[in-house]
Formats: sequence, structure tokens, C-alpha cells
Amino acid sequence: MTTVIQTNHVVMCEGMACPMPVVKTKKGMEEIQSGEVLEVRATDKGSVADLQSWSSRTGHQYIGLKEKDGVFHHYLRKASEHETKNEMKFPHVISNAELAEKMSTSEKIHVLDVREPAEYSFERIPGAISIPMSELEEKITQLQTDQQYYVVCKSGNRSDRVCQLLDERGFSKVKNVVPGMSGWLGATERDE
Amino acid sequence: MANKRVAIIASSGGLETAYKVLNIATAAAALEAEVGIFFTFEGLSIIHNHSEQMLQLKPENAGLAEGFKKANVPTIAQLLEIAKETGVRMIACQMTVDVMGLDKEDFIDGIELGGAATYLDYAFDAEVTLNF
Repeated sequence: MTTVIQTNHVVMCEGMACPMPVVKTKKGMEEIQSGEVLEVRATDKGSVADLQSWSSRTGHQYIGLKEKDGVFHHYLRKASEHETKNEMKFPHVISNAELAEKMSTSEKIHVLDVREPAEYSFERIPGAISIPMSELEEKITQLQTDQQYYVVCKSGNRSDRVCQLLDERGFSKVKNVVPGMSGWLGATERDE
Repeated sequence: MANKRVAIIASSGGLETAYKVLNIATAAAALEAEVGIFFTFEGLSIIHNHSEQMLQLKPENAGLAEGFKKANVPTIAQLLEIAKETGVRMIACQMTVDVMGLDKEDFIDGIELGGAATYLDYAFDAEVTLNF
């Protein structure tokens, strides 16, 4: 089964030759906000290498690639200033290694993944609950205030902000996982 | 990250050269580089008002015409439009323009005229220089 990945904007480059995919991707990135996800659909085989190079050069995050019926679906997340500049403020943290250790001792662990759906789709901690940071307000009722949650994102910044927010809402047992998925060595799962 | 600068000299004609120059230039602009192209001698045909008629494939490459169509390669006019939109600086060599008896009006909008020093002044600070 293929899951449809939710994105904020789609750029259609089917049938277009180089350099159109990168040209259109750059334009598409200008249409979305920091932290949002862009999907680029292309048939140009060169786009597979080109869009990864483009992302690493421009500082945006290349989340992943899916190929379906000869069309490449690239997923990219727009970089945000504060992610690299903000200092983490939430005092209760747990390291990746400590979390992996807890999970291996078969304790029932609730991992809350606050990244975008596309990021979650490509790689996540097995069993993690997905609530993107941008949807926390509307989905907060899915969580229980007395439950212990380990909040994870890519590098510990979004999860830091979510922990602060949950703390203000009376969640007393949340911990920020640092650094998060960027350094995660434990088991993962992904959508097929 | 400081922006990279790419300085290109386009001194040959033909459709092949036009693609080499404009593909690299527009891709570089998409990678957020600052891009400048100095058009001189036959390279001036790329930015000429009648570039569509002037830019032809070399006889030995005539067989590629089919491939260009099949691959849905953008037209030179489209690439020039993208170049302008993305801030690619296009400089026509004043000396060759004069030698060929041409005027600024013979070229597409948005180009500037300059001499070798204009190009060099720009290229001195470039990380990448290319000559087509």
C-alpha cells in the first residue's frame, strides 16, 4: 500500500528537461514558509542527483524520494532560520542513546514525533505517534496530560518548542529527545 | 553561506553553445549563485533579437533535433526569460557589437554593454569561470 504524503505545495516538472526541475524547485521554495514541505514531481532522471545537490547547496532539507510509474517524487523541507539559531530552552531532555536504552528494556514508551508528515513517512522510531508541530493545537486532545511523552524532531529544536507548549498546557512528564532523528542509530520504520 | 559567483564567456555561436551557456547559467542561478555572462563574437547571436533564426545545430548534429523535441528541452527564448527573471547579468561585448555594426537595439531587453574590463572586474571575484 502506498500512502499519500501530505505536503504544502507541489511543483510539477513531468516531461521537463534539465535545468527546469531545479529552476522550478527554487521558485516553488519561494512559495512556502520555513518548515513547510515541497513535493517536486519530475521525470528527468538527472533530477535524482540534481535536487539532492541543490538542497545541500541551498541549505534546505532533502527528505526523500519515491518513484511511482516513472515519476520521481522528491520531498524537500524549507530551512528555517530559528532552527539553526535558537537555543534550546526546555530543561527536561533525554539523549538518543538513553531513549534507545529505555526502549530496549521493553518499557512501554510513548514517542511523539513532531516533524512534518513527509519526514515521518521516510524514517521514524517504530511506533512513534505523528503530530506535526503545526497541527499540535488541533490535535492536542489526542494526548493525555499525565502520560510520559518523549518528543522528537530532526535536530531537537521543534521538539523543544513543543515540549514548552505541552508543559504550559499541564503536561508534566514530557522530555525532549536530543538531538533527535538526525543522530538516531536505533531501529526505524518507514511507509512502503 | 556567502553567495558563489559564476562568470561565463560565450564566444561561439550555434544552438549547442546557446544551450551549454544558458543551462549552466540558469542552473547556477537556481543554486543561488550570482551569474554573469559576457557575450562576444559569435556568442552575441544568443542574445540577438533574431536568435531563433541565427542559432542552428551544426550539420553533424542535425540528428539531435529529434532528441531535443523528445526530451522536451526548453527553448532558448524560455531559458533567456528565466535567466532574466533570476537576475543573470548579461553583458554584450561593446567592441564586437561595434565591429559587427550592431546596436543595443539589435539585442533582447535587459542586457548591458561593456568591455573586457567590465567582465574581468566581475570575474576577478568569481569562484567559477567558464568559457563556451
